[in-house]
Amino acid sequence: MLSETLFGTDEMMTSLMQKRKAGGVVWKVVFLFSTSLAILFLLLLLVSVIDSTFGYVAVRNEMEPSQLVAGKDAVSEFSRAELETVLQEHLSSGILRRVLHDKPLQERSKTDLVSLAQQYVVKPSVVRSWGLGDSLLDQKSIEAFMAGNEGLHLTFRSWINWSFFTSDQSANPLNAGVRTAFLGSLWIIMITFVFAFPIGVGAAIYLEEYAVDNKLNRLLQLNIFNLSAVPSIIYGLLGLAVFVRSMEHITSGAFLSSVSDTTANGRTILSGGLTLALLVLPIIIINTQEALKAVPDSLRMSSYGVGATKWQTIASHVLPASIDRILTGTILALSRALGETAPLVVIGASTFISVDPSSIFSKFTTLPIQIYQWSARPQGAYRNVAGAAIITLMLLLMAMNSFAIIMRDKISKKKRMES
Amino acid sequence: MIQHVGNHPFGKKHRPHEVVIETLLFLFALFSILITVGIAFILVRESFLFFADPDVDLLGFLTGKVWQPMIGLFGFLPLLNATLTTSLIAMLLGIPLGLFVAIYLAEYASDRVRGFLKPTLEVLAGIPTIVYGYFALTFMTPLLRSIFGENRVDIYNTASAGLVIGILVLPMIATMAEDAITSVPKDLRLAAYALGGTSIETTFKVVIPAALSGLSATFLLALSRAIGETMVVALAAGAGPNLTANPFKAAETITGYIVRISGGDVSYNSVDYNSIFALGLVLFVITFTLNLVSRKISGLFHQEYD
Amino acid sequence: MKKVVLVTMLFLALASLFAGGKSEQSTPVANSFAWVEEGTIHGLPMVNPLKVTGNIITAGSSTVYPLSERMAERFKEEGYRGVITIDSIGSGAGFERFTVAGETDIANASRPIKAKEIDAAKSIGRTPLEFRVGTDALAVVVSKANTFAKNVTKEELARLFSTATTWKDVNPSWPNEPIQRFIPGTDSGTFDYFAEEIFASNPEPLLSAKNLQLSEDDNILVQGIKGSPYAVGFFGYAYYAENEASLNILSINGVEAVKANVDNNTYPLARPLFLYSDAAVMRSKPQVAAFIDFYLSYVNEEVIKVGYFPASEEAIDKGRKLWLEAMQGTY
Repeated sequence: MLSETLFGTDEMMTSLMQKRKAGGVVWKVVFLFSTSLAILFLLLLLVSVIDSTFGYVAVRNEMEPSQLVAGKDAVSEFSRAELETVLQEHLSSGILRRVLHDKPLQERSKTDLVSLAQQYVVKPSVVRSWGLGDSLLDQKSIEAFMAGNEGLHLTFRSWINWSFFTSDQSANPLNAGVRTAFLGSLWIIMITFVFAFPIGVGAAIYLEEYAVDNKLNRLLQLNIFNLSAVPSIIYGLLGLAVFVRSMEHITSGAFLSSVSDTTANGRTILSGGLTLALLVLPIIIINTQEALKAVPDSLRMSSYGVGATKWQTIASHVLPASIDRILTGTILALSRALGETAPLVVIGASTFISVDPSSIFSKFTTLPIQIYQWSARPQGAYRNVAGAAIITLMLLLMAMNSFAIIMRDKISKKKRMES
Repeated sequence: MIQHVGNHPFGKKHRPHEVVIETLLFLFALFSILITVGIAFILVRESFLFFADPDVDLLGFLTGKVWQPMIGLFGFLPLLNATLTTSLIAMLLGIPLGLFVAIYLAEYASDRVRGFLKPTLEVLAGIPTIVYGYFALTFMTPLLRSIFGENRVDIYNTASAGLVIGILVLPMIATMAEDAITSVPKDLRLAAYALGGTSIETTFKVVIPAALSGLSATFLLALSRAIGETMVVALAAGAGPNLTANPFKAAETITGYIVRISGGDVSYNSVDYNSIFALGLVLFVITFTLNLVSRKISGLFHQEYD
Repeated sequence: MKKVVLVTMLFLALASLFAGGKSEQSTPVANSFAWVEEGTIHGLPMVNPLKVTGNIITAGSSTVYPLSERMAERFKEEGYRGVITIDSIGSGAGFERFTVAGETDIANASRPIKAKEIDAAKSIGRTPLEFRVGTDALAVVVSKANTFAKNVTKEELARLFSTATTWKDVNPSWPNEPIQRFIPGTDSGTFDYFAEEIFASNPEPLLSAKNLQLSEDDNILVQGIKGSPYAVGFFGYAYYAENEASLNILSINGVEAVKANVDNNTYPLARPLFLYSDAAVMRSKPQVAAFIDFYLSYVNEEVIKVGYFPASEEAIDKGRKLWLEAMQGTY
């Protein structure tokens, strides 16, 4: 009776509860839907990359293998003698001279001769390419296209293959590779590490272990946080003005007379590495601070207790205890730098560079920049190559991250065993 | 009993290298200030050169509707407009989805699901932005064109870029929002349950309001990230400044412009070169302000519960 | 362990600083003309790329870029091992790097050098030498889906790229749809050439046109034009040739852009392609002279494949003579 006047009738109560529960269910559906959307986006991303990396390719040969040796449709079917004759007769004098200079034909392997003939005599070029999805599901339109065009060959191609890793840039997407870009990326990350790691870890040690909680240090802390959220293109502008222009004398290597005609300006690996070092520095500082915070104070206290100085404590107790997290975080920061494009475009990565970097004063191109340039090209075949380059980049990132995690586990296991 | 160490009574031994090390580390920390000062100095100096050019005036810059340096028009509104359009679309996609994923992760997900979902978000967060740019160009734009029609949607458009930026910031929003939500003390939830609230009511009426400052900080940081995003817009949004409210048209953002001009390599000392710094300064001021406000808000948040 | 890590890192750092150096070819001047071979081709000494050492830095026109890229690739295929960089940044920016900053050895250009650029070069001690390498038929293109536009007069072209808002404004028989324009950026020689030919060197009406997208990267323009039947743009012929499947080229004043019309000078938008260098640079960096020699000797074998048209032998010969004069007494 009392419940009726205060809270309404039983029916009202039940219906109200049902409404509230129903509302809960609706929202739960919304949450699940959002979560599945997030997963879906990741899958779509991966699928679109994989889609462009494998598929059918319609190729036109400048010279058909059957024109070279009657009755044989593919260069791989030629006999060794036939290959040597073909190469002698059809390679231009300049190329033949170079080929013979590198290694006489008799000493080369058959696969080598096949690829030479393929690249310089047959000279295939892409007329049209299809993605994996189309290749598997839309066979009809592919067949229609082949029927409608004379003299084309259809092959299924994986755009990511060993020669993709070992070749350098080329005007023909069939021959293009990421070797130069890959090496450029590695060189730059090395420079980034050399500069950002000591300064970053040092600054973090100061902020965590030495700094008193006064205004200056709180300002430093806030400053570092803000720097970590600055858009990466701003670092590019800073790098352009400071490293490429103002410090041109140093970054172009002109101060070392041994590297005279390499580059004439500061758009070098050194500049790129320094710029990225500035970019990852705040990240490394913040991460190292977290790692140092995680070391229990009791460890420090016991070290002071036996009379160690501050630095001795840090060097022999705090750092070893936190080195695993510090290194992991650093490697993750470096993998972030690996994927950066905008700052390096602003600094001036090269459009066409055909030789691997040989010193920190070389001009450079990197994997992300290569992806950017290939993605911007409208010919379909470049989409495929860009997709292959993206997979290469992702593999490299995965390798770095796995390395970081494995190393962290190894060191913490060692710590546990020692303690 | 007094022990003598060297010439001193038992006390602090004079250790110069300790001081050296401490000073060195302090200098390292100070270096970070140097970077900020460097950024501010360079941007301001070059912007000064930009505004000193006779063709350029501050009012025209801030209010002008056309950006065409070669004929002396320097109104930056088209660039700002495009930046805001892409960022707004990104937030419209990213904030609700990110928030819902965060709520799910924090309040409802079983440990097994969390163990699977958190790494997924980490992977998404670690994908380089250039890949998202590629995705925008090769997937999102054709998708929009097939849904809305090829004559309605240009091949370069800000909607495609905006949507993909939304996907890009989603993991960041989800992770940070989840942190904010889980930081709300358990007591509050238990109190709400004790009063008879369902879990949904608790979430929306108690937890979210309690986490509001952390969530606001997250959204501001995400907005700052979206505004500063470069590669997605460089590939997908367009190559010419265009003041338009239609997101299906091409329009160049501030960041897209900076990349295009520096990629084309301008001569040092031309008004074009200085203009990228002036725009960089605008960008820096906007994102810096957003970051500062975000930090202040989340600072408020920490005070309430510690 | 920390000490080991630190020491290793320091060592790696130092090593990286000075690694390489050796693979960069530092040229002892005595041998640097070892690449000259017996015999001449078109009057120029034959080049053996296997024996060319040292690096070559070029930058400039995005139109010339595919041609230079092809010649550089052939140079490499025939044995050149050094670094050759080609930056596609626009003729104007290329001249800037060559004449003001002195950073490049060769400037690629799709327009002749201007007087003030020559003055700038003189002030840094360089005298630009002009080498004609080919001819471009500037292609005015529309998407394959555009079925109505086949030809424009020069005057229609001017309206198409300035005051007209819809296609109907240009030609009453065309649809009443807004024009979407994709043109090279202001650093581009192509842009300069178009402004000169169609707008009497005044770029303002072109830049004030509505619906305008600019880019130094011709690939972006192709992409944009492909996207709509109402899009139009222009760029070097090679970019059209590369994308023939998705683009249609308009004839100008009834003249089509084909080899015959370029050779006999009837195509109105035929323009020369150049390399510029300097005698002192060529003499102190023999590899630059070698590359230019190679270029001038073999360009007509490659130019059609790249998508451009050969310059007349006389035009190229002028450059060859300049080369011989510049390199007199060195080999």
